[in-house]
Amino acid sequence: MAQGIVNRVVPGSALALGVVRSIVHGTFLVSVLVTSFSALGALPVTIMRPTGVMKLLPWGFYDRLLTPSGMATLKIIMVASLALSATGLFTSISTKTSFLLVVFYQGLVRSFGHFNHDEMLGVYCLAVLAFTPCGDSFSLDHWLRRTEKTRPRWAYAYPILLMQLLMAWVYFSSALIKLRVAGLKYLTVDNLPALAIFHSLDNLHDTHFKLAFWLPQVRSYLPYAVGLVLVWELLFPLAVFWPRSRWWLLGAGVLFHISTLFFMNIFFPHQLVLYLIFVNWDAIARRFHRSVID
Amino acid sequence: MATSNLTNFSRRSERGLIVKYAILTVAIFAPLIWAFLVVRNVYPIAAWNVMMAGGDLERGRNYCILRGETVSGGTIDIPAIELTNALYSRTWTMVNATVGNQSFKLASIHPANAELIRSAGGIDKLPPGARLPDLLESWGRLYNNRLPESSPQRLKAIRVDMYRWDGGTYSDYEKFIQSWRKEL
Repeated sequence: MAQGIVNRVVPGSALALGVVRSIVHGTFLVSVLVTSFSALGALPVTIMRPTGVMKLLPWGFYDRLLTPSGMATLKIIMVASLALSATGLFTSISTKTSFLLVVFYQGLVRSFGHFNHDEMLGVYCLAVLAFTPCGDSFSLDHWLRRTEKTRPRWAYAYPILLMQLLMAWVYFSSALIKLRVAGLKYLTVDNLPALAIFHSLDNLHDTHFKLAFWLPQVRSYLPYAVGLVLVWELLFPLAVFWPRSRWWLLGAGVLFHISTLFFMNIFFPHQLVLYLIFVNWDAIARRFHRSVID
Repeated sequence: MATSNLTNFSRRSERGLIVKYAILTVAIFAPLIWAFLVVRNVYPIAAWNVMMAGGDLERGRNYCILRGETVSGGTIDIPAIELTNALYSRTWTMVNATVGNQSFKLASIHPANAELIRSAGGIDKLPPGARLPDLLESWGRLYNNRLPESSPQRLKAIRVDMYRWDGGTYSDYEKFIQSWRKEL
């Protein structure tokens, strides 16, 4: 019965899971390709503060790795692994190596700065994909094998459901933590303008938009805007279980993340790309096939 | 279609897959729920505590501007993201932590930092931003390496200027606090 429910909530197939694998791994591949690893390797190791599991590695290891050549080597390995997993070659191995390499690299950059959350949802999606049959279709493995694996549909639908639930958790738990920590103080008139202006003062953020300085002029309206964001975060799980609400909730999410970019110089591009896991790829494939036949 | 061959997928295999998915679900969500309950990030376990406290107008805050002094005599603002784009979104906290000597306050300190503490006579004897010159030198070198030797835009020095917004009002954002400068 549970399997029937999974299939109804997430119309997954091997193709849909394969497309999601390509999107998640491809996102990290593009991200790594456009990043200068050698520049990161030029930073002094002595300002590092290894975080979480990164504390388990000895300083001697970081001394050897954090050089321009050491980091360039890491980049080559990551690009190779992510290219294999994104295209679905040696998928059962390459998805696991990509997962481990991304976990390591994301831990490394967080050991310099703070625990930024943008890429974390993607890291958990990599974990899901590493242990599920995401190479059975939409992959070079499938194309080279030219035979069908025989698994029930729920075997492909459940991992997609799990990734959608992870995204719902991100927003839902974020709202609950805000309410737990700040309570109704979160809805004070100065919450948003004070925070947004602080993030717009330096030149160390990635962007330097100054719209935050306009917010004090409309501060009496801002508690309503902040309240709406909290309600949206709390309602986000509906996007998983009630498809009719999905595009409204995702649309609001796009608006929210673009707003934080312009008003706070904070952007979550990896998380935005992962909205694509809510797309019904089976329906799109059917439509594509029909248009090809017609 | 995969569904047409379901008979090949034995009940035993199906049971195995159910167990595997159950373990995967628990392995991912149990740490996340723990992090949520204690509101703590322990990499790679995340608690989504982004902006959880909100802004407080009464609380003052320091912030930094990265600047370069060119060989032609000008002073320019340098967006740090263009030097080390890997740090994306995390540069400002890296600079704040370096100013606060946070890398000297770890349970396991880098041997070079332990040596610096010994030579200074204790962690409380270290000046703020004890490692900031090293960071500035790295950034300065990265910046200059992208320009030809003859370019007037090359830097002769690079610095971090720290300012303070005392809060209380939406004005007076630029109270100068301190500079760290590195000749290149």
